[in-house]
Amino acid sequence: MKKTALRSATLAGAVAVGLALTACSGGADTTSAASGPAEIDFWGWAPGYAEAVDAYNASQDAVVVNYEEISPGAKGGYEKMLNAVTAGNAPCLGQVGYETLTSFAAQGALEDVSDIADANKDEFSAATWAAMSVGDAVYGAPVDQGPMALFYNTEVFDSLGIAVPTTWDEYQAAAQKIHAADPSKYISATYLNYDYAGFDWQAQAPWFGVEGESWKVSIDSAAGKKVADYWQGLVDEGLMSPAPMWDQSWYTGLGDGSIATHVGAVWIAGILKGSAPDGAGKWAVAPMPQWTAGDDVTGNVGGSGTAVLEGCDNPEAAWDFAHFMSTDADTFSALVETAGLYPAANDLLTLPVLSEGDDYFGGQNIYEVFAESSAQVAEGWVWGPNMPETVGFLDDSLSGAWAGTGTIADALATTQKKTVVGLEAQGLSVTE
Amino acid sequence: MTPTLASATRPPRNDRASDAPGRGRAQRDTTLGSRIGVMSVLVLATIYFLLPIWWLIVASTKPAGRQFSGNGLWFEGFGLFENIALVFEVNDGVFGQWMLNSVFYAGTSALIGTVISAMAGYAIAKYEFRGRGVVFGIILAAVLIPKIMFTLPLFLMFNQVGLLNTPIAMLLPSIVSPFGVYLARVFAAQSVPDELIEAGRLDGAGEFRVFRSVSMRIMAPALVTIFLFQFVEVWNNYLLPAMVLNDTSLQPVVVGLVGWSGSNGVVPAGTVVVGAFLSVIPLLIAFLFLQRFWRAGLTAGAIK
Amino acid sequence: MSAITTGATSARTLRWRTPWLFLLPFLVLFVAIYVAPILFAFTQSLFTLQRDGLGLTAPTLAFDPFANYARVFGDAEFQASLGRVLLFGIVQVPIMLGLALLIALLIDSKSARGRGFFRMASFLPFAIPGVVAAVMWSFLYSPVTSPINGFLESAFGFSIPFFSDGLALWSVANVVTWVWTGYNMLIIYSALQTIPAETLEAAKIDGASATRIAWSIKIPMVRPALILTTVFSIIGSAQLFNEPTVLKSISGGAITSTYTPLMAAQSSVAAQNYPYAAAQSVVLAVLVGVASFVFFKLTSRGEQ
Repeated sequence: MKKTALRSATLAGAVAVGLALTACSGGADTTSAASGPAEIDFWGWAPGYAEAVDAYNASQDAVVVNYEEISPGAKGGYEKMLNAVTAGNAPCLGQVGYETLTSFAAQGALEDVSDIADANKDEFSAATWAAMSVGDAVYGAPVDQGPMALFYNTEVFDSLGIAVPTTWDEYQAAAQKIHAADPSKYISATYLNYDYAGFDWQAQAPWFGVEGESWKVSIDSAAGKKVADYWQGLVDEGLMSPAPMWDQSWYTGLGDGSIATHVGAVWIAGILKGSAPDGAGKWAVAPMPQWTAGDDVTGNVGGSGTAVLEGCDNPEAAWDFAHFMSTDADTFSALVETAGLYPAANDLLTLPVLSEGDDYFGGQNIYEVFAESSAQVAEGWVWGPNMPETVGFLDDSLSGAWAGTGTIADALATTQKKTVVGLEAQGLSVTE
Repeated sequence: MTPTLASATRPPRNDRASDAPGRGRAQRDTTLGSRIGVMSVLVLATIYFLLPIWWLIVASTKPAGRQFSGNGLWFEGFGLFENIALVFEVNDGVFGQWMLNSVFYAGTSALIGTVISAMAGYAIAKYEFRGRGVVFGIILAAVLIPKIMFTLPLFLMFNQVGLLNTPIAMLLPSIVSPFGVYLARVFAAQSVPDELIEAGRLDGAGEFRVFRSVSMRIMAPALVTIFLFQFVEVWNNYLLPAMVLNDTSLQPVVVGLVGWSGSNGVVPAGTVVVGAFLSVIPLLIAFLFLQRFWRAGLTAGAIK
Repeated sequence: MSAITTGATSARTLRWRTPWLFLLPFLVLFVAIYVAPILFAFTQSLFTLQRDGLGLTAPTLAFDPFANYARVFGDAEFQASLGRVLLFGIVQVPIMLGLALLIALLIDSKSARGRGFFRMASFLPFAIPGVVAAVMWSFLYSPVTSPINGFLESAFGFSIPFFSDGLALWSVANVVTWVWTGYNMLIIYSALQTIPAETLEAAKIDGASATRIAWSIKIPMVRPALILTTVFSIIGSAQLFNEPTVLKSISGGAITSTYTPLMAAQSSVAAQNYPYAAAQSVVLAVLVGVASFVFFKLTSRGEQ
């Protein structure tokens, strides 16, 4: 699960030497109006953030942001932030993936800034704003998002004369035709943790919810079962490639056409270009298949925001920067180019850098599809209070299900059971 | 005292392996059949041991992005230098930093550790004192229990005292080497004559002075062995640095490589392969050129 | 050190103090790195994380000395992981040591040529850190692009499902065997070198065949080394972590996040449940400690 958390948060997760900076909570004296600009510390890892901070510092005199580049969240960055919060020397701001934000909140590691932030709510896509919130509390500004669509290999589809599937039924029919024509070709490969969650997200089968003062755990919901049974059907018919996602065999399959589609988030485009160069010119993007013909509902995988960490003594200044980085057109254009981030702010979806054709995709401007998808991401998805644990449970049984041991539905049921036990063991209030 | 010591203190028989003179006679003693049998088993075993390394070398020389194409065991195009340049380019050249970190952690802790082990082993071997048996028993027990068992508790403790993510968290545990003490004890008992120590004392030198200028000198080759074992142990250690060092810039190369290999394509698998190849070169060279020190340690210790 | 040489101290105190001063640095670090973390982990394991409702404030620790231990002993996955490494130890260790012994005897035999080469070739994998070896083997095992299966398929028309339920543990075992066989081989080989040449000559004059000499003289005489490598390897199995962790992502679910005891404890850390991780570590350390003690007693009695 660590893998996707990293992937989803940043595309080119490069990491460099970060300078040790003093923590913001210790610098109370610097925030008084008389003694010059307020100082805000910010920890993150996405490439391009350092430049975004420079741009902000150059744009105004009231706040100085000190950026420190840390390891990607799931690679130790989150642990570092949580430890700093516990020790009382955390920075004011930290990069936190949406899937992890709730877990941070449930550690008491975040500061509610809803009274400052709510005014900007409408500038962001509904799904990403919800992702930075738990209940009425808002913990920071969404930066990027991962709306889903269908990546498909045009060569495979054209050679067999198959139309691009618009529903999951058509998708299954396409899978059968492709495999029948060439048994070494498959419709798609395995989906784990957050990538699988995207399917449940689309099907409006949220894994978690907040009911009053309790966590609702619904990983094995009926709606989720429908999704599980669908993919199980494809596995049982032998239509899915056994290549584990992110393994070399997966990249090879994406490059040589033996994996004909991938249903995933916008950042998959960067993966294809970087790791499946053989697929150049063959791939294209279409809207995500629907459960009911004519619907237009999608899911989201990944994305991260700038969260205000517990102990921040100048949330106004912190918010000012976070908001700037997420919404400033020039700054974000640079982030699109260096980090491949896809903006969470509605106005930025039409940036010039997101309006160009791409040779890898046969000249298609794939972002048109994703801009549409962004507006269609289903509402009501909530992440749980201990996602590292939950996706750990899930992957243990889900990878087996794709490989033919056990079923996807059983994997979800097992995860449900273990998650409830795990949360209750910590004294959290849980309903099912 | 223990089975190891019994075999360790016995002087090694002539190593017939490298003894050229023995060969002529040996040839006469053996039949062609037995030679073929022995050699074919040895060749098979060698293929098993060397094939993965061979694959690594071959893959590293293939042009960037083609590491997994074609015949896995034979060359196909040449891109080694370009690949190496690529490894040092990814993530702003952090790979070079990792290699330096590994050298620093392994070198520093092995150096300090060797001195500390030498002192402790020497004391146990050369002084009669109450509690000696207990101390030595504890050290033997510590040799027996894998160090990795202590890593998680160490992480928890360092977390509490705020030492996480500092080089200290990596160095402190790496310095302590019960096996080093054990080896030092064996070597000191074997190689440092009591008469020399007495002579030093009669000359009026203090105990520490005797240790430093007499015993340490005699033990020098053995200390190289201790240093090497500890160096490799620290260099190869994964769990400790993976848990206590979060900052990429602080990590040793093994942790960095595993990070790359789990980076979901951020760093292409081909680059991971070439990085792995580069990372093992220093130790492979050390192994090839320092053979006799390894043998010394393995003969004396006969334990991990 | 200068304190002990001042005239104020009497010679007897000096004698008594000197060895302890030599031991001091080691003992201090030993307590800090081996004893303190275990005590700390033990203390921490007596608490449980407590939160309520949605838990949107920092969790608190509540003293509940048995809760974590009750959970450990009821944790089916943790127990399964213990059973798994036990099975691993019982099967993999004899195979690895049998192979090591065979190679050592063959290299030691008169029929062998190029001894130095074969010795080095089998020792070379030890220069490769366990995780890097696992990364390497993960490419060789990779479900679709495995060069091994590529070869087998084109030559013999079959492939090995490295991560099927039955094989996964042994695919892990293969990586461990690959890294450690040469190391153990050298220990055994070094022990073979200590057999007095006269003993072997005498046997030959009596007309014993090479196989018979190996079986009746060499193997019994290296028994101490064999026992020791066995004990260490079996105990070492308990620390299985690096290889399965690296292979997990391509194992298609055959290797889970709680595959070995250390992995289970590590995943408790990942889930931010430090007290439970502490309890798992303590239980594991105690089990390994007891096992080591028993083995140690058994083997040293056998020698007396």
